[in-house]
Amino acid sequence: MLLSLNWLKDFVPFAGDVEDLAHRLTMVGLEVEEIASPFAYLETVVVGKVVECKPHPKSDHLSLCKVDVGTEVLPIVCGAPNVAQDQLVPVALIGTTLPSGLTIKKAKLRGELSVGMICSAQELELGEDSSGIWVLNQEFSNLKVGDNLIDALGLDRYVLDIGITPNRADCLSVLGLAREVAVLYSLPLQLPCVEVKESTEEIDYEIEIKAPEDCYLYQARLLTDCTLKESPAWLRFRLLTSGIRPINNIVDVTNYVMLELGQPLHSFDRKLLAGKKIQVDLAREGQEFTTLDGKKRKLLRSDLLIWDAEKPVALAGVMGGENSEINENSTEVLLECAVFNPVTIRKTARRLGLSSESSYRFERGIDQLLSPFALERATHLLQQLTQARVLRGVARKETKPYKERIITFRSGKVSELLGIEISEEFCSKTLESLGCGLQPGAEKWLVTPPSYRQDLEREVDLIEEVGRIYGLDRIPATLPKVSKSLKVEKEDWFQFLSKIKHWAKGVGLNEAINYSFVAEETLDLLQKEDKEQRVYILNPLSEEQNVLRTNLLAGILNTVRVNFGRENRDLRLFEVAKTFFLDKEQETLCREEHRLALLLTGSREGNFWPYSADKKVDYLDLKGLVEHLAQVFGCQDLEFRLVENKDFYLKPWVKVFQQGEEIGFLGLVEEEIADRFEANQELWYADLNLEKIFACYQQKRYSFQELPKFPGTTRDITLVCPLSLKLVEVLEVISELKVALLEEVRVIDIFYPQGKAEKNVTLRLFYRSKDKSLKDKEVNKIHDKIGKTLLDKLDVRFP
Amino acid sequence: MSLTTFLAELDGLIQELEKDLDKASSISQLEEVRIRYLSRKGRLAEVMKGLPKLAPEERPEAGRKANEIKEKLSSLWEAKKRFFEQKEKEERLRDFDPTLPGRIPPVGTLHPITLVIEEVSAIFTSLGFEVVLGPEVETDFYNFEALNIPPEHPARDMQDSLYITDKTLLRTHTSPLQVRTMLAKKPPVAAIAPGKVYRRDSDLTHSPMFHQIEGFLVDKKVTMADLRGTLTLFLHRVFGSETRVRFRPSFFPFTEPSAEVDISCVMCGGKGKVAGKTCRVCKETGWVEILGCGMIDPAVFKMVNYDPEEYSGFAFGLGVERIAMLKYSIGDLRIFFDNNLRFLKQFV
Repeated sequence: MLLSLNWLKDFVPFAGDVEDLAHRLTMVGLEVEEIASPFAYLETVVVGKVVECKPHPKSDHLSLCKVDVGTEVLPIVCGAPNVAQDQLVPVALIGTTLPSGLTIKKAKLRGELSVGMICSAQELELGEDSSGIWVLNQEFSNLKVGDNLIDALGLDRYVLDIGITPNRADCLSVLGLAREVAVLYSLPLQLPCVEVKESTEEIDYEIEIKAPEDCYLYQARLLTDCTLKESPAWLRFRLLTSGIRPINNIVDVTNYVMLELGQPLHSFDRKLLAGKKIQVDLAREGQEFTTLDGKKRKLLRSDLLIWDAEKPVALAGVMGGENSEINENSTEVLLECAVFNPVTIRKTARRLGLSSESSYRFERGIDQLLSPFALERATHLLQQLTQARVLRGVARKETKPYKERIITFRSGKVSELLGIEISEEFCSKTLESLGCGLQPGAEKWLVTPPSYRQDLEREVDLIEEVGRIYGLDRIPATLPKVSKSLKVEKEDWFQFLSKIKHWAKGVGLNEAINYSFVAEETLDLLQKEDKEQRVYILNPLSEEQNVLRTNLLAGILNTVRVNFGRENRDLRLFEVAKTFFLDKEQETLCREEHRLALLLTGSREGNFWPYSADKKVDYLDLKGLVEHLAQVFGCQDLEFRLVENKDFYLKPWVKVFQQGEEIGFLGLVEEEIADRFEANQELWYADLNLEKIFACYQQKRYSFQELPKFPGTTRDITLVCPLSLKLVEVLEVISELKVALLEEVRVIDIFYPQGKAEKNVTLRLFYRSKDKSLKDKEVNKIHDKIGKTLLDKLDVRFP
Repeated sequence: MSLTTFLAELDGLIQELEKDLDKASSISQLEEVRIRYLSRKGRLAEVMKGLPKLAPEERPEAGRKANEIKEKLSSLWEAKKRFFEQKEKEERLRDFDPTLPGRIPPVGTLHPITLVIEEVSAIFTSLGFEVVLGPEVETDFYNFEALNIPPEHPARDMQDSLYITDKTLLRTHTSPLQVRTMLAKKPPVAAIAPGKVYRRDSDLTHSPMFHQIEGFLVDKKVTMADLRGTLTLFLHRVFGSETRVRFRPSFFPFTEPSAEVDISCVMCGGKGKVAGKTCRVCKETGWVEILGCGMIDPAVFKMVNYDPEEYSGFAFGLGVERIAMLKYSIGDLRIFFDNNLRFLKQFV
């Protein structure tokens, strides 16, 4: 809400400093977002008097003027056709920058010196007229040559831009803000003039409210013999200052009163209304109606319309109709001043995307008791400005009169809630100054808030008012006692996620955070199978963000693209985030799964000495990370199984099981997919279910194993294997033998002889006994047996 | 050959060796010297060939002398060798380049959002708060209605939502966790709830996804002064104890009274100017908005079956990105979700 300081002063004799005002308003919850000086550019535009005006010798449209600007007489070349001697005109002095961006400089126009510029109203953004210079003495009196235009025209030096919270509908007007200023500075409040000279003829309109739940009060005044014209400067300026474009005196008055008192009004051209009846009724389902912006709107049964005897003429509280709009031929005005149900107005305005200054105020609530006053105020102004004849009386129907609320208030509760002693006296003084009626009692007071404070409904609302005026910033700082039960909480989910992140950091991964939503196209590219499970956004900001991730890769690929585009081609990333799946069983209709994603690509260790750029990450790097994670978080007996699926986004695609249960998967991102994200190199990706890992982690216990007392010994064995043989098959054969003395088996080498379709796998077997030193003979016997079994059971041989 | 000649020859070897050792200037030359004197075909062996030609009674003395000389020769040579070795060691030490690049294991980082969430969580857990997490897809009930924001309430304008169905949406704030936690527990309750939140808003200063931390405490006789104390302590820990904290009335449907909390500007220290120029962070006001808070509205208590006459509580919500931007001097909101490695790696 833009507040003109001059307008404010019509209501309260405020004479203080604008900075102080802004600070005090901010500190009572009316945040001043900016102290604007919208007319600052007029500081160097002054009232000048044309003392001489003659034609330019070298031009047929330019004039050579001598203009008295108070301190001196300036030569100015002027191109306006209407410039003449003795006019008082706005002169932009050298150095002025006009709203168009033009900066006035000393210039020579066809050989003649020009020092300054005589401006049109339009050039100063104070009017629409651009046909010639603005002859000020035609519109204003008491002008003093040399005065700057801000003072000369009574414009605002300062305008406060105030953020009004949704609860403070009362402050969406100059009056409302003036009430607050009156309380803050202990100033008297003065209401504006509402004097109306009524004619003897009586208004003969009937009002019928057919939708009493949607319209609480409807009032109308009838004015005839109106002279439609441009509004006087003072009114135009106030609208301009408040961010509203002036149109004509009739429309301007309705806007003016809305800004001044917070009550939106609407003016109909009476001659365009059929019959002498106004009806307030809901629209017919599917009915079409053309609003005054010329747009045809399709309406629902829940939209409220104003009808004349035959047809709809306005979309109640939102926008007038094209069919009854004030136009250049209008002479008779039916002036509407009504109170509608906020919810009705809000639904319509939101659905049609038609939020207006009017609907904004209706949505937040109108002061119903002030409404008749607003009607009188608008009538008064219209009579003043259009010389209208005002018919006697008001056509009026009220279906739901304003009901006072009485709130029980215990002053002791104030300190109890705020934590600071505030006297009863301060409470009563504050509530009264805010317009509340007070009926004090021993323990409880009965408080009646004023009709304009619809937000005051409960005791706690009154406590807030007392605190607000006292100053929330004066509340001291104390620390609460946080009572806890003795029940020991297990490690929580948050701590676990934090541990996962720190593990990832520790193994040299960089954390990424991607949007939870991605483009459907991306999910399609990765995997078609999950289509029925996807969670779509009804009203996405763009097609790029229209579905929630069913896998983390969809987001991580964006990170890959961003980095490859910036020459970061060696990535070690992780992300902890949720994936989302439709699930009717959940109250949110959505199952959320916390997952950990790992992505490795590019150089393994670094591109520069002492490392080598041609060592690239591969499956074993990624698998190693998964195994490391498993060890740290207590997952045992991991199995890595190759999965065949042509349609999956990883190839190879390896699922990870722990004690038979799937906990995640890993593999290489399909080349085509990587290419689509401008990543033309191997992307190794792992995706793990954190809930499953958490389950392992909760089982994890440290349990000390006796350290070996006797030395062990090792034997190597080399097997020539077919390429298709998986290592796990070899290890399984060995472990099935259940050799008690065999402590560990490690691969020490895998060699692929040139030109042969086989591989030589060398294993080192570690033997140890718990209670003695092993003898060579003993070990050899066991080792030979293992070797023999391997040859028996597998398609392998010794070299 | 006489014994005298034999012994003189042996003695002569020492002088010869010493001369050659003096001349040797490298380990390889030293090795040549060893071969010349001490190998099987060396000078010593050559002299020793004269031993059988001596008279038998002279031989023991000659033999003894020969051994003496051999040891002498060896020890002279060894000394020289040690000298060379020592020299080489010294040279190696002298040439050691401690400035070569090390083999640094890959350096991992946490996202600045995580850093802030962890820092804030640590502060509040030390005060006895627990950390709770909740769903990111929420029902209208938890996200709005239970928080005293009925349908068609103008306060819904404050949070433009991304809907999944007409009754479910991506949570617009972490406040639903107040309701979920209070429904699950009886007072006293003290918890914070960090997490992702979503709004239908995207421009220079708004991201459709961002992070919030909700905090709340409900017990008997909790006051707004307790709220101020808790937040002051928290803000001092995060931004330094010289930070000034300001409470300003505001409006949230689920708290009453409600306040915005400002802190003295972290950039200019509240002076409004940096090196004579308008501070870009606080726009010369000296204050920056940091979070919203208030006393939990009785309407919310009713929704979770707490008796507002018996209990009171406070709640606050803060923007994680906002804190990260102020704390780490980040000017652009969008940089958080680009995940440019050059950005991520700054938070080691």
